[in-house]
Amino acid sequence: MKLLEALAIANKTSTNQADSRTFFLACGFTPLHLLTFLKAHLQLQFPDLKIEIATGVYGDLPGNLQRIPQAAAGAAVVIEWPDLDSRLGIRQLGGWSPKVLPDILDSAASMLTRLEIAIAQISCPVALSLPSLPLPPLAFTAGWQAGGFELQLRERLARFAASIGAHPRVRLLNAQRLDRISAPVGRFDAKSELLTGFPFRQEHADMLAELLAALLRNPLPKKGLITDLDDTLWKGILGEVGVEGVSWDLEQHSQVHGLYQQFLGALADSGVLVGVASKNDPALVAQAFERADLLIPRDRLFPLEVHWSQKSQSVARILKTWHIAADSVIFVDDSPMELAEVQAAHPAIDCRLFPKTDPMAVFALLEDLRDQFGKPALSEEDQIRRDSLRSATVIEQASAADSNTLDDFLRQADALVTLDFRKNSGDTRAFELVNKTNQFNLNGRRYAESEWDCYLRREDTFIATVSYRDKFGPLGKIAVLLGRRPSAQPFLAIDAWVMSCRAFSRRIEHQCLRRLFEEFQAEELVFDFVGTPRNGPLVEFFAAFAPPGPQFRLTKAVFDKACPALSHSVKEIR
Amino acid sequence: MTDEIKPRLVKCFAAVFPGLPETAIPAAAQDTVKEWDSVAAITLVTVIQEEFAMEIDLDELETMTSFARIHEYLHRRLSAT
Repeated sequence: MKLLEALAIANKTSTNQADSRTFFLACGFTPLHLLTFLKAHLQLQFPDLKIEIATGVYGDLPGNLQRIPQAAAGAAVVIEWPDLDSRLGIRQLGGWSPKVLPDILDSAASMLTRLEIAIAQISCPVALSLPSLPLPPLAFTAGWQAGGFELQLRERLARFAASIGAHPRVRLLNAQRLDRISAPVGRFDAKSELLTGFPFRQEHADMLAELLAALLRNPLPKKGLITDLDDTLWKGILGEVGVEGVSWDLEQHSQVHGLYQQFLGALADSGVLVGVASKNDPALVAQAFERADLLIPRDRLFPLEVHWSQKSQSVARILKTWHIAADSVIFVDDSPMELAEVQAAHPAIDCRLFPKTDPMAVFALLEDLRDQFGKPALSEEDQIRRDSLRSATVIEQASAADSNTLDDFLRQADALVTLDFRKNSGDTRAFELVNKTNQFNLNGRRYAESEWDCYLRREDTFIATVSYRDKFGPLGKIAVLLGRRPSAQPFLAIDAWVMSCRAFSRRIEHQCLRRLFEEFQAEELVFDFVGTPRNGPLVEFFAAFAPPGPQFRLTKAVFDKACPALSHSVKEIR
Repeated sequence: MTDEIKPRLVKCFAAVFPGLPETAIPAAAQDTVKEWDSVAAITLVTVIQEEFAMEIDLDELETMTSFARIHEYLHRRLSAT
């Protein structure tokens, strides 16, 4: 992006958008064009918001970290070598004698400790960039030799990064990705640094800002991947070469398929749903999945749609089983024709060709898939999602039979619903659920992390994070209610209510409301309901009591009259 | 040449000073535009470099204090090539 373009983006949207967010750019140098590029990239990441950027003062990174307001939507923290010790830059002349190198190391280590303490105290999300510019030639070794001074300095920096990177609010910029899009040799602008205090060439400032904005946006990952089998999960057409004829190894020149299997196994183990859509003989496929050398175990794949019907129909059934929308899914196949057929039937799905003859392209595909499914950390729910979907299928079948069958089924399920009323702002799962759930969602409202924290800090608000387990296993945290108890009023205002689709058909939603009525001695619940294109399941739930509309009101009497039998045990945590 | 330079220079000014009405840009000067501080001056020179695909020495900043002076500078540079 050119600077002119960045200014145009920032200026154009800043006059159109009403809802604003202020981010903070904390650095020790003059922010200059980095500020403009960051504003433009954040504006692109948040097109519905007016983006503002606040900055601190020159040469005082630790002070600037303390200047970040609590209400900031996020902070981009950019560390460069002179922030650790000004002798590591070119604007200060403190000496580069070998005698001072140990002192530089000590002072850099002290500064890193100081920065770590200051960053850990920031209350908003932090996108952190470590020094991206070259060290000046201050040590006595030749440039092609990594000398002791530089190695020790980088070791201290790496220890700092590993420590601060474990903090839940801090997201570290990946240096490998930055190296790919901004060549290290073209980053430093010595003239600009000396004249203005801004050390980056424009292109580097642009790339750095793009990655910082992506870190601050923290986009929701895709949820599921549907894969083809023949010439994709393995090399060969199963119906032609047989179970022992398909391969995924070096000897058969089919290692890329092994890599793909390995990658899908890793995705599945990190909570991504992986299903199969294959035009194939089901019996043969079942035999193929018996092979002990497969790198993704059969039980990691759910469901398997293996038959001779159109793949778009398979995809439709898989989406229904997963309870997720097409735009949360990637479909991978080696056939452009199959991809086109699926794309035509499911325009929102992201279709990717498996480039079976080009290892470099396969590597690039895996990198891209990692970006699409990447998440900052794994949760307990990531480990149990696939198994809980399997049990959901069983329960939905019981639910579809008749209400007596479901009553019996639930009575024998040994279900435990746990409502946790603690305001633990560090619980990223509750925040994540509210921001990614579409179907059982009161109003579709998404929260920025700073908004979430502000809401929970208010004394009149409450949160109920709901977990569930039964004899089929745990579902983990599957629902969240956010609400307020207006003073001296007999009602509760519910501002957000979401429940994972994995928890449908268990009457957990009924139990949640029953507990709210009882916990808060409320006579009425007032829901901030807004119909969205996707929240049909929530509408259906409300309709059992009364036609839903804005500020939907539900009295305890009406609820009790229409509520079906609830057989869960309930545990509350305060 | 002059006619080609002016609208492109106006575009640069409009990007750096979005609050300045387009009709006021030809008369803009560092003394009269309060947003024209040192950061804006560097930004302006940078976008002019982009727009006109030329290198401008930052030492020239001191002389580039109004639309008219910058226009004159560009006219001189582009005429010489």
